[in-house]
Amino acid sequence: MEYTNLSKYAEELWLCARCGDCSLADKTVASKRDVFLPCAVKNVLGFEAYSARGRIMVMNDLLNDKIDLTDDVLQWLYTCTTCKGCQETCAATAEGIKLPEMTEALRNDLVNAGYELPKHKAIEESIINLGNPYKEERDKRLDLFGERDWPEMADVIYFVGCTSAYREKEIAKTTVELLDKAGVNYTILPEEECCGSVLLRLGHKRAFDALTKKNIEAIKKTGAKQIVSACAGCFRTWKIDVPKEGHSHDFEILHITEFLDQLVQEGKVAFRSPKPIKVTYHDPCHLGRHAEVYEAPRRVIEAVENVELVEMETNKRYAHCCGSGGGVKGSHGELADKIGANRIKEAEETGADLLVTACPFCHRGLVDGAKYGNSKLEVLDLPEFLLPFMVEATGKREVGENPLKTEFMAYLSNHPKIFDGLKKDAVIDYDIEGDRFHLVIAKKGQVVVYPIRAENADVELTFSKGAVRKLVTFESEEEYAKQFGLFFKEPTDDEWIKFNLRLNLVKLLMKGYRKFAQKAGLI
Amino acid sequence: MTIVKASKKHPLYEELAAIVGEDRVNDNQVIISSYTQDACHLTAERPGIVVLPNTVEEVQAIVKLCNRTKTPLIPAGGRNGICGAYLPRVKGSVMLDMASMDKIVTIDEDVMTVTVEAGLRWAELIHRLDEKGYKLGFRGPYGGNAGTVGGSTSINSIGYAASKYGPSTEGVVSLEVVLANGNIVQTGTGWKKGARPFARYSAFHDLTGVFLGDHGTLAVKTKVTLKIYPKAEFITYGDFGFKTLEDACAAFLEVQKRGLTEELNLLCDRQSTDTFFPGFLDRHSEINAMFAAIAQETDEQLASRKMEIVREIALEHGGKDLGNFAAQMHWGEMFNLVQPLYNNGFWLNTCHLRPITLIPELMKRDLEIFKKHKLLKNGIKWIASCLGADRAFATGWVTIFAPDKSKMELALKAWNEMLDATIDSGGCPYWSGLLWENRVLKTVSKPFLDTYKVIKNALDPNSIFSPHVFEGVD
Ligand SMILES: Cc1cc2nc3c(=O)[nH]c(=O)nc-3n(C[C@H](O)[C@H](O)[C@H](O)COP(=O)(O)OP(=O)(O)OC[C@H]3O[C@@H](n4cnc5c(N)ncnc54)[C@H](O)[C@@H]3O)c2cc1C
Ligand code: SF4
Ligand code: SF4
Repeated sequence: MEYTNLSKYAEELWLCARCGDCSLADKTVASKRDVFLPCAVKNVLGFEAYSARGRIMVMNDLLNDKIDLTDDVLQWLYTCTTCKGCQETCAATAEGIKLPEMTEALRNDLVNAGYELPKHKAIEESIINLGNPYKEERDKRLDLFGERDWPEMADVIYFVGCTSAYREKEIAKTTVELLDKAGVNYTILPEEECCGSVLLRLGHKRAFDALTKKNIEAIKKTGAKQIVSACAGCFRTWKIDVPKEGHSHDFEILHITEFLDQLVQEGKVAFRSPKPIKVTYHDPCHLGRHAEVYEAPRRVIEAVENVELVEMETNKRYAHCCGSGGGVKGSHGELADKIGANRIKEAEETGADLLVTACPFCHRGLVDGAKYGNSKLEVLDLPEFLLPFMVEATGKREVGENPLKTEFMAYLSNHPKIFDGLKKDAVIDYDIEGDRFHLVIAKKGQVVVYPIRAENADVELTFSKGAVRKLVTFESEEEYAKQFGLFFKEPTDDEWIKFNLRLNLVKLLMKGYRKFAQKAGLI
Repeated sequence: MTIVKASKKHPLYEELAAIVGEDRVNDNQVIISSYTQDACHLTAERPGIVVLPNTVEEVQAIVKLCNRTKTPLIPAGGRNGICGAYLPRVKGSVMLDMASMDKIVTIDEDVMTVTVEAGLRWAELIHRLDEKGYKLGFRGPYGGNAGTVGGSTSINSIGYAASKYGPSTEGVVSLEVVLANGNIVQTGTGWKKGARPFARYSAFHDLTGVFLGDHGTLAVKTKVTLKIYPKAEFITYGDFGFKTLEDACAAFLEVQKRGLTEELNLLCDRQSTDTFFPGFLDRHSEINAMFAAIAQETDEQLASRKMEIVREIALEHGGKDLGNFAAQMHWGEMFNLVQPLYNNGFWLNTCHLRPITLIPELMKRDLEIFKKHKLLKNGIKWIASCLGADRAFATGWVTIFAPDKSKMELALKAWNEMLDATIDSGGCPYWSGLLWENRVLKTVSKPFLDTYKVIKNALDPNSIFSPHVFEGVD
């Protein structure tokens, strides 16, 4: 058997040193990352073969002909949700060992060689013939919206996605209602096709190109500049996979959480809960780890008056998966339910009244998980959660209301030399005792400061107010850097700086942080 | 639940399934593949079947079954050892994956101990203790994200906070072990029926010590009781550079003798520092060796004073104050420091213990080997790092990184010479395993080995536990 696609990862498969972090790590206290037993699948099934470390050992054995390719391999291969929790935990390379990609490569090899699960074949056929994986009729796709004429031209396309169109209809309905109420100039493609996510995840890539071309053509005709999706899977496919598979387009791809976040920041929408509620948020893997959107949904939830957001033990880039992705729900339903039930338990431990997520697939998986685990915890998707709380917007929200934050932001914008040496797109998050903003290196000698917390910072820097008050008084970048280093090395009760490295050391060095640390006299 | 079905060919499959249920026993080759290596490159036999016990009673029943049928039984922890210790030497073994026996049994605040199931990982133990306001003495090997308390104490692992508290085994108060005959024995004050395990030495000889470092050959550890301490919030850091390794070692020895630090980490040459913290010494061209020191106390002044004394000692020995960034990163990235080094390639280790005064001799020998094989020219980097340990000795962790498969052969050649140099220059490995065993057997005294064999025969007459370990590797 030729493993054409998997073989491309042979060096990386060899480099995995089987440290076991991706399977067994708890980094919560020792290195202050919210990692806890990262593989939600291994946590249910127990044996090492289900974690990334074990999967890599199995893959190496396949490549080296130490084990035979049997139906067992096929069953095993479709137990990975490709959630990327392992890769995010793995510190062996800058990106982490790319187990999800390897899994999809091996799936593709097997499919190409004729090994495929009958269920998956049926899904592929349904997508090719009907434009959706659920064997539903093509012309019923938009029935959920009732009789409605969609404009031919609009600024924004709401890409509904198959799961919202045929299964999780409430998500699509509430999204449309939100967009209507917010007065957004949008439309829906009358002949929308499946985005192809499921094909890529299952390794059945053949039909992907045709679908994508068709969708791109249809969107172009509407003149839209933005594609908004309330499905994390569609969003990731459009944002990450479509360009990766070689399809170029100029549309801006936004998840509904990002789109609403912008509207909230611009003061175009507002939300208020009539009574106080405590909410926790589940990060969909497609939205979080795969597309690095963590803060927008949180900002939107926190923008709802009377709502308190509490975090689960594993969250953001280290959040446990809901169990439904990567073809697991379709291939091994009970496994998905058990993983979902574990995630529900985690949510319950926060004491939240409600679990909110932002993906129809996660929503279904979590609802089923709650049922499986006999939990009464209510699970809502973000548009469903928001709609009843929508109130009249009162204009642009004040940002940078803390004068010290505003002053620090202005200071950093005017002193880009502080960041000499950092590569383009390096992101530093600033926290002045709870007040957040972030800075991005736009290009050499130019930084852009945003008044909100970064989606996925390289480093988080926490400052005491006293430290900021002193730092903004320095004329020269050299003096600033020196004092910055001193606050870190010799902190006092009033003047201190703390670091939280969000990326592993290898990646930080590649992004140019060595020079930054040298300038600050840290090294 | 089971997805990959057992092939049910192992002779004990049915009986093992009757003990733990079908979901937790499997002999399918897909499952077995994931139990064929630890975190080093060495390989041995594939296990015949893997079992995931959840309770001591299940372990007991499995051990009895293996003893009755004379089937080899290998306990495995986090399987992130780096000497191949958990790999079976014979075909058809039953492998006990202990990782799901990971509960904290009790935190006994009166006597300051914590009792844990043997499969608990160090990092989670630290997390749970921290929530309750406690810390461990020895914190875990650097691989403590996945390394388990049972695994580490079975191979004398050493690592974080060894400067103050010594190796993993020093923190042990008592063990619960399952013997080959199925008896469950509690050591320390546990000899007394109903007594809490609060002290190690009591009424009899130290039975605990018999099982520590046994490489899984004498019993299965099911519970471990460790010493705990109040969480110490005040931490001070210092980095000190030296022109010569000899100066660094003299200062290092003095700091270690005075018992000032929680953690003391020596980097033996510029390349080692550069591999660990690239760019760290760029501004200090005269510096060749450095150490990072960490003091941790419940009292702020005490923590500060200790670091002042460390500084005074360093300066007296010609040292230079380099700040404290390396020490802060070192401590803040606990259990996360080594993995980023894999980016340099696959690692080949030489972990061992040695008197601090013998560090320069080792470095001299290793540098000759690096030069002879032109390692740097071949893209093979190294780290030579020593941790202060238990009063006044050190660990020696000289590791080279093969950047890709094509460089592995050369790296292995150099590594084998490094292992010889380590032993010849006064080093004693922490563990044996596939890595060290032949070299250890060459240098072990006969009465020592014979004594071990007498104990082994007495406790495990059918040699079911990890058979052929300590007998040499082909
Ligand atoms: C990144 C990294 C850094 C590391 N740094 C260090 C370090 O600083 N210091 C260090 O010492 N090691 C280090 N190691 C190696 C590893 O972390 C330790 O050796 C650790 O103690 C292994 O524990 P384990 O549970 O994985 O043991 P395993 O590898 O599973 O087993 C080790 C041995 O113990 C036996 N065993 C396991 N459990 C039991 C039990 N319950 N009863 C009886 N016998 C048992 C096994 O049969 C085997 O002989 C590192 C590894 C990695 C990957
Ligand atoms: S994939 Fe990464 S985290 Fe997992 S065992 Fe390999 S090196 Fe360690
Ligand atoms: S991608 Fe997710 S499910 Fe798959 S091995 Fe990694 S952590 Fe486990």
